[in-house]
Amino acid sequence: MSEPSIFFFEVNERQGVFHRRAFLLGGFAGLGLLTLTGRLAQLQLVEAQRYQKLSAGNQFNYRLVPPPRGLILDRNGVALASNRPNFRLMVIKEKGMDVEATLDDLATLVPIDGTRRARLLKEVNNAPRKAPVVVMEDMSWEEFSRINIRTPELPNISADMGEVRVYPFGGAFAHVIGYVAKVSDKDVEAARTDLTQDQELLHNPGFRIGRQGVEKAFDIALRGRAGAIKAEVDAQGRVVSLDPAGDIPATPGKEVRLTLDADIQNRALEVMGEESGAIVVMDCRNGDLLAMVSAPSFDANRFVKGLSGAEYKALSEYERKPLLDKALSGTYPPGSTFKPTVGLAALAAGIDPEIRVNCGGSWYYGGRTWRCWQKGGHGAQNMHDAIKNSCDIYFYQTALKIGPDAIANAARAVGFGQTFDIGIPGQKKGLVPDREWKKRAFKRNPANQIWFPGETPSYGIGQGALNVNALQLAVMTARLANGQKALVPRLVKSVGGVEQPSGAAVPDLPFSKEHLEYVRGGMAAVANDVRGTAYRQSQLGLGDVQMAGKTGTAQVRSYDKVKTRNNASYTWKLKDHNLFVAFAPYDAPRYVVVVIVEHGGMGGATAGAPRAREVMRVALLKDPEIRARIERPMPLPEAPVETVDGVVEGAAPEEPEEGGPPPPQPTTPPAGTPGGHI
Amino acid sequence: MTLSGGLSRPGERDRPIIKFMEIDWTFCLLLCLIAGSGALMLFSIAGASWEPWADKHLLRFGLYFVMMIVLAMIDLRVWFSLAYPVYIIGLLLLVAVEAIGDVSLGAQRWLSIGGFRFQPSEIMKLGVVLALARYYHGLSADSARFSWRLLVPAAMIGAPVLLVAHQPDLGTAMLIALTGLAIVILAGLSWRVIATGVIGALVAIPPFVLFVLHDYQRKRVLTFLNPEADQSGSGYHIYQSKIALGSGGLLGKGFGLGSQSQLNFLPEKQTDFIFATLAEEFGFIGCLWVLALYGVVIFMALRIASISHSHFGRLAASGVTATFALYVLINGAMVMGLAPVVGVPMPMLSYGGTVMMTVMIGFGLVQAVRVHRYTEVTSGKGSLM
Repeated sequence: MSEPSIFFFEVNERQGVFHRRAFLLGGFAGLGLLTLTGRLAQLQLVEAQRYQKLSAGNQFNYRLVPPPRGLILDRNGVALASNRPNFRLMVIKEKGMDVEATLDDLATLVPIDGTRRARLLKEVNNAPRKAPVVVMEDMSWEEFSRINIRTPELPNISADMGEVRVYPFGGAFAHVIGYVAKVSDKDVEAARTDLTQDQELLHNPGFRIGRQGVEKAFDIALRGRAGAIKAEVDAQGRVVSLDPAGDIPATPGKEVRLTLDADIQNRALEVMGEESGAIVVMDCRNGDLLAMVSAPSFDANRFVKGLSGAEYKALSEYERKPLLDKALSGTYPPGSTFKPTVGLAALAAGIDPEIRVNCGGSWYYGGRTWRCWQKGGHGAQNMHDAIKNSCDIYFYQTALKIGPDAIANAARAVGFGQTFDIGIPGQKKGLVPDREWKKRAFKRNPANQIWFPGETPSYGIGQGALNVNALQLAVMTARLANGQKALVPRLVKSVGGVEQPSGAAVPDLPFSKEHLEYVRGGMAAVANDVRGTAYRQSQLGLGDVQMAGKTGTAQVRSYDKVKTRNNASYTWKLKDHNLFVAFAPYDAPRYVVVVIVEHGGMGGATAGAPRAREVMRVALLKDPEIRARIERPMPLPEAPVETVDGVVEGAAPEEPEEGGPPPPQPTTPPAGTPGGHI
Repeated sequence: MTLSGGLSRPGERDRPIIKFMEIDWTFCLLLCLIAGSGALMLFSIAGASWEPWADKHLLRFGLYFVMMIVLAMIDLRVWFSLAYPVYIIGLLLLVAVEAIGDVSLGAQRWLSIGGFRFQPSEIMKLGVVLALARYYHGLSADSARFSWRLLVPAAMIGAPVLLVAHQPDLGTAMLIALTGLAIVILAGLSWRVIATGVIGALVAIPPFVLFVLHDYQRKRVLTFLNPEADQSGSGYHIYQSKIALGSGGLLGKGFGLGSQSQLNFLPEKQTDFIFATLAEEFGFIGCLWVLALYGVVIFMALRIASISHSHFGRLAASGVTATFALYVLINGAMVMGLAPVVGVPMPMLSYGGTVMMTVMIGFGLVQAVRVHRYTEVTSGKGSLM
């Protein structure tokens, strides 16, 4: 193109346009600067305080000081769960750190093999920024000090002293107290929306969360509140300076005191030996649980560090189920231990206890033969004898007379078919069957909704659909022994010094005192009448302090097609459960012991009663008043001499009858072979 | 001005001493104040030390200041004749970068020639200004308003923008594009076209963000829209910058006492986020001071543009001003959380030689326009048309 033909006026026009638009451009720039100024005013003048706080939050870092976890004590102040120092070595993840190099540094301090190294590498890489990853725990003091000297020159490595939970009694309290374990992703997720939980504490490497029992139920109270060390830090989290004036001390977790007694609890686990089952000891004056043991148990300390897969497998697959709390979660047919309850129901229904029922060893009803455990029969039985001898025929017929609903009412009144608020989770309700239940339970099958008369006799001897747990048995026995109050159990005595409500502040039982007295008389005879089903096994050897009880056998299978009920030759799994409930002293009841021995064989006296006796002795001897009573000088020179095992079956015994009311004279034929009772 | 009486003689204005006197020294003083403020901040964040930033910053500024004075003496006709060559060389270098450039931080921006590393995109910032000014110098007002001839400036802007965006350096590409647009508008583009373009851009931005941007670029945009969502990740920069600014308050935390910058919470504190450092230590008052300096510099540069007798001079000086203003506004908006994080520094305040060089060469051009404001620039030889 040739020379552009721009005329003068056009040149002027271009200049004019430019000037106007340059003015606009300047306006735009000015507007932009004004906007920036406005924004600055907003940030620096209006919102300054907010940002000053955030800035201080950046500048000062509160390093968390974990609170010591609250102790769990027994009723006398013996520590059941405490803390011990733990020297740890940690890697602190930082942005842009060389994990490999850090691990190389570590390897010069502590032995790290290939697989461990690979695992650590993964852990550190997955950890969030600034989160410490524990490399080693429980270092010796020598190791700890050696590393501590060198940590200043090793970036990202720190050694510190934390605390770790310890259970001094190992397994004895494992089910009640539970254990603490590493925080899982699930816990973090669950805590995210829970404002009462300290999220930062949850992420602290040494922190453990309560997993079972008291540790779980009182977890928040036991945790305490984390403190902090104030430090000025840079963006990399390196401490520039410390500010001790700004430190916040940690608040230790609250102390939880249980009603349990360590001596009784330990003895209870001890007497269980290799057996599987549960023992519950309760104070029948106020409902305090003195022992609650499930056997076999496990060492809760193993869970604190984290159990290996193999260990866990071994525990969970063992047929005696150590991880199951048999005192609360195991339900069993109560067997003959239910007979006093049926007796109470009968008395309440107006049955005269002195009306005798003849036991000939079997009874034909409803198209089948109902057998007594005593093949030869017990002869004519009143209610007292029937409890003492655990006569099945008497209770088959009595149950039929009063019907299932009356039995169910009495069963609920003494504590079956319900859970109690003892502060820890895991109780199974069991089942108290009645007509109403049948309607509900068999919705799909209307034919089964009616209560068949044939179900009632079994109900009378504590079999059939009836299911109870060991705690309920203890409550039942405690209520009978107390004779007045509908006691409820209490496990937690106080939390952080605040006393928990007593189990005695409850209404009275809906039974007359005479009826309760009568049934207790039968239970006394079980243990103290030479012909009682557990006479020999129930002698405490503590002078006039005597025990009353009731034996029980819970069938685990039908015996209709089996010739003999003698369990001795059966494999463990097929043997009957062996139950015994007891209270003592008979004349002024204080302690209740319930023993369930799973597959312990027939008759509560064989496996249950001797164990109950041992535990009862510990409970009684620990009681200073009982002790004073035992040891007081006898007013008469010819004090009765008793031996624990020395009484020969069938031999004429002297009747030790000091104190309480004398049990009615037995009028029944001599008892059969020892043990093997229902 | 003061010497206007004796300047009517032909050739008198070509005397170096006269030229030297014609330089706008107030303007130069303002530049020194800005660079000095920058050096002060760099001194502070280095823990009251000249090392490693403040000394180099001042040294560079001194060097570029001398260069600016030298460039100011160069006849506007020389600038005019060099406009296209500079542009073409810049374009070729951009292509070369595409082919053989160094990759650093995931982007191909640098070119090394004999051990000297530089970014051709910086040359292009001035190249586009010069080339557009020259092209419009020979264009009638009507053609500049709206005609097929505008395809040429469109191509002049588009080619380098696309090349730079492809490196990818979105910040610089945007800067070049906006500078170019500013010149096109200043030259007299029809308002209708501008309105259409603005509406078109508004429609095109969302799909552009979603489909064309690189992941990290998109992340920055999304982070900008909701910076609090990810405070330790990509929202960290903006978040920490806002904390630094806000915590400064009215009077600031005091010289050397900005915890955000001193303790390294503020990223890129010596370069892109130097303004946040200043805001933290000197507060709202300090910010007003620096923003006022920038405002006056922009105003004076625009004034220089408008007193020029040649259209080339007007457009070149205003183009440089536009670039400078865009630097200030984009960086300011970014630091204050009003714009996404793009690698645009605060000119003269931030540490870093490249941008300072570009800006100072640009101001050399602005001063040359002032010094040669009466010079007749004819589009004789070397014209594109």
